[in-house]
Amino acid sequence: MPPLLLAIEDAEGYVGGAYLVFLLLLLVYVAIMAAKLQRIQRDLGELAELAEQPRRSEEVSGR
Amino acid sequence: MGSISLRTIAIATVAVLAAGFGLAFFYAPEDADQGFIQKIFYLHVPLAICALLGFIVAAIHAIRHLRTGDPIHDARSYVSIHLSVIFGVGVLLTGAIWARGSWGVWWEWREPTLVSFLIVFLLYATYYPLRYAIEDRDRQARYASVFAITAGAFVPLNFLAVRLAEPLIHPRTFSSAGGLPAEMMLAFLVCLVGMGLLWVTLVRFELGAKAASADLGRIRRALQGDGAPPAPAPSVAPVGVSATSAMSAGSAERSREGAPPGATRFRKKAS
Repeated sequence: MPPLLLAIEDAEGYVGGAYLVFLLLLLVYVAIMAAKLQRIQRDLGELAELAEQPRRSEEVSGR
Repeated sequence: MGSISLRTIAIATVAVLAAGFGLAFFYAPEDADQGFIQKIFYLHVPLAICALLGFIVAAIHAIRHLRTGDPIHDARSYVSIHLSVIFGVGVLLTGAIWARGSWGVWWEWREPTLVSFLIVFLLYATYYPLRYAIEDRDRQARYASVFAITAGAFVPLNFLAVRLAEPLIHPRTFSSAGGLPAEMMLAFLVCLVGMGLLWVTLVRFELGAKAASADLGRIRRALQGDGAPPAPAPSVAPVGVSATSAMSAGSAERSREGAPPGATRFRKKAS
């Protein structure tokens, strides 16, 4: 039997394992959502640039 | 629900869950039958209840979507199912760990509670292929709502059928005479409220992210002046596709072994 399984062959190990699985699941979800939010932030930056482009070109043509 | 900020509800979630798990480990007595491993109960059962209730909430939002045509209800239904499926993964994993420690097996195919939950979980797992197999956004939302209502009606029926079936080894805690001792019940109820708050927090978090994605798409289209009518926000973007890019492209947004059935009630360990 692998050492990891041997280590959790008691009640404490199983309880710890169950709560750890829950925590990991939560962390994976939060990490995926954080990646999505980063993408939104990047898109927002692109849009800010896009919004500023007409003003910049007006400034250049004004000179 | 809408008037309470996400930050407040997130803080409440952490506080209540911490209190619940604290009560489970330091206040609730050890179960006389199962011992320390019964502590998984305070995680596994609230997760299962919230997942099943989440599917019913999704069905209610789907009914509202079909009645009003408002895409916000479709988005709420989608997110409710998404979170409940994630909670369902948690239920199956924590249940398997508990089964291994308590019954000596990871899974028991003859136990109606386990198999019925797996059926419900797999049923909802088909929601995503069904949804994203349809390109037209309105049709996609309508069909997804019909699915959410049908599957949502199946959840209480399934629960009832399992209650009526003869249990093999899985506990029927709340149907047993006497139920949980007061200390265990208190810890369980706090954990249940905490888990419910976690579900609500994550649903609101995801809905907020989806609304932001949809708004970004509308702004991008307006800035690029493609003349397309603004999409109602929030809407559901396809999995793995940037909402902004998808929208700007004009595409669719998206036993214990041998234990007797009677040995199912939790009771205090004699000190």
